[in-house]
Amino acid sequence: MSKNRVSRRQFLNYTLTGVGGFMAAGMLMPMVRFAVDPVLQAAGESDFIPTKQKVAEITETPTRVDYTYEQQDAWYTSEVTGTAWVYKDDKGEIVALSPVCKHLGCVVDWNTDKSNPDHFYCPCHGGLYTKDGTNVPGTPPVASLDVFPYKEKDGFLYLGKAEPRKEA
Amino acid sequence: MKWISQDIDMFLKEKQYVDTAVLPLLPVSFGDDIKQSVAMTEFISLLSVQLERQFRGRLIMLPGFAYLKSASEDSLIGGLGQWESELKVQGFKHIFLLTSDSMWKAFEGQLEGGLIWLPSLPLEHMDENYRNSILDDQVKQLLNLFVQKWQNGE
Ligand code: FES
Repeated sequence: MSKNRVSRRQFLNYTLTGVGGFMAAGMLMPMVRFAVDPVLQAAGESDFIPTKQKVAEITETPTRVDYTYEQQDAWYTSEVTGTAWVYKDDKGEIVALSPVCKHLGCVVDWNTDKSNPDHFYCPCHGGLYTKDGTNVPGTPPVASLDVFPYKEKDGFLYLGKAEPRKEA
Repeated sequence: MKWISQDIDMFLKEKQYVDTAVLPLLPVSFGDDIKQSVAMTEFISLLSVQLERQFRGRLIMLPGFAYLKSASEDSLIGGLGQWESELKVQGFKHIFLLTSDSMWKAFEGQLEGGLIWLPSLPLEHMDENYRNSILDDQVKQLLNLFVQKWQNGE
């Protein structure tokens, strides 16, 4: 009987290791989760958002295409509507441009400035872009409009996340 | 630009491009017109969000001027006057007051800033899609108005 007796020291050792282990696990688990979660989430997210635009109906004139998605703002999720300017270029390729002016972020319009027809025009400080999104020198913007990657699915246009245009 | 730290950093850097201040006027009442005051406040807040999104590079959207409907007209006009003179001192070329409350229309002559009055719509009874298209329409009109005022002011 006395052989199996757990000494006071052993008992304390066991219990403290046990409790300490739990505490350490309690602290580490969330940290591991924080570290791993974003990675897992990014992979699970589909990054193309559907629009109501039929690909077959896209013309050579830039047209406004809206899309909605959910945006997470800290703890607050809201529906956000985004817009793209979409048209087919000379080669019949689809071009989807972000409407956000590269100067200070106003929304640009197509063909609204009478003295500069067939340009994207920013009403805020007169920023101008040619049809392909290139900024016109001498106006405030210093870069081309961002470009959306796109996909076609079941005849509809899907838009990815707008990116700065790679300079050719 | 909104009244948030991130946007204000941009404002401080690009001040020369920001010549317009917009102040939404937001009525509060607990009397018989409580619902009406809510509808007006809601409508103007929704519009200001859209307006800011479109023109964020040129205007600063101030936190609203909230006021009690029960307050005396003199004190309301006095209070708003202080805002206007401060904004003017700060160098804003265009000052717009955005409201649904027709009370202000009677005092338009006493206000320096451009008063923009829009009738508030009964949004609560509309379905989402209809509501959005109506709001879109209102926003479009508002945008045109701003562009016009900017062009005339130049
Ligand atoms: S924000 Fe477009 S030109 Fe300044």
